[in-house]
Amino acid sequence: MSRYIQFAVIRFKSKTAYRFDYFLGILNTLLSFVVYYSIYKALYSGQSYIDGVSFSMVTTSFLISLGLGSAFHKNEMFLQDKIKQGTIANELLKPVNFKLRMLFEDAGEGAFNVVFNFLPTAVIAALFAHLSTPSGALDLILCIASVMLGYIVLWQISFIVQSLSFWLFSVWGLVTIKNVLINIFAGAYIPMWFMPERIRSILHFTPFDSIYFMPVQLYLGQLNEMQVALGFAKQLVWIAVLYVIGEVCWRCGIKRLVVQGG
Amino acid sequence: MRDILSLFFAYAKSGLKSRFQYKVDAIVVIFAVFLREAGGIIAMYLALQKFGTVNGWSIDELLFLFSLIFITYGIFIVFFMALRDFPDWIKHGDFDRVMVRPRGVLTQLVLCGADWLAAFGHGTLGLLLLLVSANRVGIEWDVKTVLYYVMCVAGGVLIQGAVFLTFSAITFYVLETGSLKEIFYWNMRKFAIYPLSIYNKFIQAILLIVVPFAFVNYFPAQFFLRKPDMAQYPGWLMYITPAVGVAMYLLAYAFWRFSLRFYKSTGN
Repeated sequence: MSRYIQFAVIRFKSKTAYRFDYFLGILNTLLSFVVYYSIYKALYSGQSYIDGVSFSMVTTSFLISLGLGSAFHKNEMFLQDKIKQGTIANELLKPVNFKLRMLFEDAGEGAFNVVFNFLPTAVIAALFAHLSTPSGALDLILCIASVMLGYIVLWQISFIVQSLSFWLFSVWGLVTIKNVLINIFAGAYIPMWFMPERIRSILHFTPFDSIYFMPVQLYLGQLNEMQVALGFAKQLVWIAVLYVIGEVCWRCGIKRLVVQGG
Repeated sequence: MRDILSLFFAYAKSGLKSRFQYKVDAIVVIFAVFLREAGGIIAMYLALQKFGTVNGWSIDELLFLFSLIFITYGIFIVFFMALRDFPDWIKHGDFDRVMVRPRGVLTQLVLCGADWLAAFGHGTLGLLLLLVSANRVGIEWDVKTVLYYVMCVAGGVLIQGAVFLTFSAITFYVLETGSLKEIFYWNMRKFAIYPLSIYNKFIQAILLIVVPFAFVNYFPAQFFLRKPDMAQYPGWLMYITPAVGVAMYLLAYAFWRFSLRFYKSTGN
């Protein structure tokens, strides 16, 4: 295991090489937040609660889901490039589990972005937006745990789509479509509370609300013990289900992989 | 003129052919661009099911506002893709090739680069939004309004063209302008999609003066819709989009001509 953690640490360190990109990244995240902050400020137009949801809950939800969304953004053409260039053959020869290595490298990058992109953005946003404070220390810890599980859900979905590049000419289109669906249905573009009831009841049966909305609810302390347990169980079930799908795609893909030259 | 048209069609033909070499993939990419751009709109649509209006704008009126951004970008990218990706032209030495050909430098750049897939993705989204909203927002379409609409679209294209022409000219001095584009175009465009009046004064000032996206969609849409939030701006702003486009483009062109003499090949 320590070997894989090394992969994550190396990626984390290599990200520190690009200084200017930090500031640009923070600005990007912050401005996306400001757009939605402004829209919802206009929508609330001075009211403090709508349907029992306060404006600070909305801004907090946007900060967590948009902020983490941009922190977890990564190169999703990775697998396709490896396959197209044939370098995947070398990777498969190495005595490491390719998938696990990919997960840890991506997670290292994600961790870097959370520390150097998400947190600074949150601090700046707190200066002008009324954000909610975490409802308690335990809630904050649970929230962080749930963010990690949410990340794995997000990663698995990305892996499944990426692994389609064994069959397709390019997965760029599908990756983009997948990201739009996640942004809408995981609550990055619209707070889950305002999602029309019919759509929300369907979303309960999808992995989408396990990604950002579960951490948001934990942070705000909106769940009772039963719901917390159920939420974590749901995240774990989705991780298991998506793992199986990803593994099937990966194994079938590897079987039909033909690398020419290289 | 004839010469320029035939050049454009020759480039368009070869561009379309190469872009549509893998037909299924091209269609998936167009759909993906369409959906990526529509994502925020879908979220807005869902939110307005609950809230009704934003600053007095109903969903149909917003769709009309959004349509202008996408239609202008769809046209813009047919002509200005080379300027969008200009740092690559310099770095790869492609610009040298352009300079030794017997046509104007900018003419070639404008005619040859068309991102057809983006054009179809943005263009169809814009037209769809226009078709859905145009009848429902109560605009009376007659010769005058249609003419002004076309002029506004042309103005919007020129405004964005001028922004990219300026970036390209700056590329002659600093070689890499990717982050400038990110900050002053793409991030500002995120703001520009929604009604100007929802933002604080600072952001409004940027969208009015620094990167005047407000003239691409907000003020032209106000000309047709006359929403009450227009009261906080001088009324004549609704009428100057075409003039802003031409003026900005001429200024950017002058800056480009001036900067061209500082071009040094990267030697590839």
